[in-house]
Amino acid sequence: MIKFLLKGIIRDKSRSILPIIITAIGVTLTVFLSGYMRGAMGDMIDLNARFETGHIKVMTQPYLKNKDQLPNDLALLEVSELIADLEKDFPEISWEKRIRFGGLVDAPDENGLTQGQGPAAGLAIDLFSKHSNEIGRMNLAPAIVNGTIPIRPGEALISEDFSQKINASVGDDVTFVGSTMNGSMAFQNFKVAGTVRFGSAAMDKGAIIIDITDAQNMLDMEDGAGEILGYFPNDVYDNNDATQIAETFNAKYIDSDDEFAPIMQSLKQQNGLASLLDYADVMSGMFVAIFVFAMSIVLWNTGLLGGLRRYQEYGIRLALGESKGHIYRMMISEAVLIGILGSILGSILGLAAAYALQVYGFDISEFAPQSNMLMPNVIRAKVTPDLFYIGFIPGVFAMVLGTALSGIGIYKRETATLFKELEV
Amino acid sequence: MNTEKIITLENVVKRFKVGDGEFTALKDINLNFDKGEFAGLVGPSGSGKTTLLNIIGSLDSPTEGTATVMGKSISELSHKESALLRNHHIGFIFQVYNLLPVYTVYENVEFALLLQNHSAEERKKAVMDALDWVGIADMANKKPAKLSGGEGQRVAIARAMVKKPQILLADEPTANLDAENAHAILQTMKSLNKELDTTFLFSTHDEKVMKYMDRIIHLRDGSVEKDEIINSKSSSK
Repeated sequence: MIKFLLKGIIRDKSRSILPIIITAIGVTLTVFLSGYMRGAMGDMIDLNARFETGHIKVMTQPYLKNKDQLPNDLALLEVSELIADLEKDFPEISWEKRIRFGGLVDAPDENGLTQGQGPAAGLAIDLFSKHSNEIGRMNLAPAIVNGTIPIRPGEALISEDFSQKINASVGDDVTFVGSTMNGSMAFQNFKVAGTVRFGSAAMDKGAIIIDITDAQNMLDMEDGAGEILGYFPNDVYDNNDATQIAETFNAKYIDSDDEFAPIMQSLKQQNGLASLLDYADVMSGMFVAIFVFAMSIVLWNTGLLGGLRRYQEYGIRLALGESKGHIYRMMISEAVLIGILGSILGSILGLAAAYALQVYGFDISEFAPQSNMLMPNVIRAKVTPDLFYIGFIPGVFAMVLGTALSGIGIYKRETATLFKELEV
Repeated sequence: MNTEKIITLENVVKRFKVGDGEFTALKDINLNFDKGEFAGLVGPSGSGKTTLLNIIGSLDSPTEGTATVMGKSISELSHKESALLRNHHIGFIFQVYNLLPVYTVYENVEFALLLQNHSAEERKKAVMDALDWVGIADMANKKPAKLSGGEGQRVAIARAMVKKPQILLADEPTANLDAENAHAILQTMKSLNKELDTTFLFSTHDEKVMKYMDRIIHLRDGSVEKDEIINSKSSSK
């Protein structure tokens, strides 16, 4: 019977083409939009993890409460000892010290007079230690526009846009003006080793990157760090593991009297990423729900039209002794076959579109030039294994639901009028 | 002579609702049909021919009285049991051939057997036999659109006969055929009637068709006006 149905579907184009096209369009959109959401959210999480939140982060409790103000007066001290403990307790995690700081960067001309200056968002990372993977993690090498990565203390990277703004070039000296951990003025000259562009408006507006030791000296933070960031092996975030590690760590300090006791947070707990990730999940679910709802209505309507067109065929089949239930089940079987064909086609098209967006990306920098949110300038989709089936099941379901609704009419058909109906 | 009764109608009345009132299509019908009869229901439009075929074909049930087909009381059958009765024991031939246009002649005839879950081999043999009976075995792979009226009706007969039903109901089967094709079709049916001992029951008001009948039941205003035995094979009133 399945062979018989397949022949009908293949030969009767009007029975199959429209539903297949509708299903394929819905599945294509679902797969593509899901891939887009995964890509956009994945890139955003990745960018946040690399630049700001880590997969897990350790701070002092008061630093956490005021972290938007970059309160280095509340920073962690004796971090070498703390990192040693962390490495002992969580050996699979890679731990990195970081200091985030703010201030003014001044670029003097050859006479020492200011030729340009602007507010800078500073980031100190471990640039020189052999065990550090910070340069790779922050993609510094590919981000270099001019010059090189700093190779000795006293050198800095500044963002390309910022360098143009303050008229500073590679090899020029710039002066950082800020405040130390203790609140006194901090002045430090740096040589611009290179300029970078990260592809994030928030970072590219006014970033200066220096080595952590230079920052500790400049800000009077001996063996101190604003934050200690932890990264999972291969830099792949696992929320369950991150949550568990944070809970284990925090449990050690739950009864501590030290008001500067460290506290650990997972990536999802920071920067509102939890709500962002939940939002992404809701949006993905909504895509699928809207798709199923809209497609079901369209396919219901298509099924009603098909039912009218095949009114005579169903009449003949009833007269030949096929029960209404059997006809209904055959309609559902046809819907499953058509749904599978449409879903395969839609999945292929959706995956192709998502792959194209993954490879070529979509530049949104023009739409958010002054964004302070840490998000990539180029939106890319991400083709993940679940995209191969995420549209498939709703595609078949929508087709079956539409047919199931339209097919109910078969039960209302009066066999007593078949002779009259089939005379025409 | 075979006198096995396969259709029995006792005091059958059929009423239809028409607006607020009722229309009586069949009035106190009492008829029996034996296995192998070749009988015709004749009468003007509205005389109750099609209503009677509907009831015998288990497409409808009587309002009053008892219609027993193949030993089963039509009124007591569920929809599924009615379908099963039609599927296994009753064939239908319509005025219009009503073939499924996307399927070939072979597949149209095969469809009735698909419902009975026969093996592919059994189906093939039965379909080719049925096409042979009606003389169109060479057209097995043609689509209905490529057939003439006579050929289309032969396919319809093959489709009705392929499952070897005990009863074949035909509603004006030659109405759309010219005289030559009508004659050929009726000859085919007559020979199948003899060969397979199938009971043929026609609804017609075509004089040419009536000439082939062994028994003619004249209906008027829902009642049997005359039950005429032409050939001794048809018998029971």
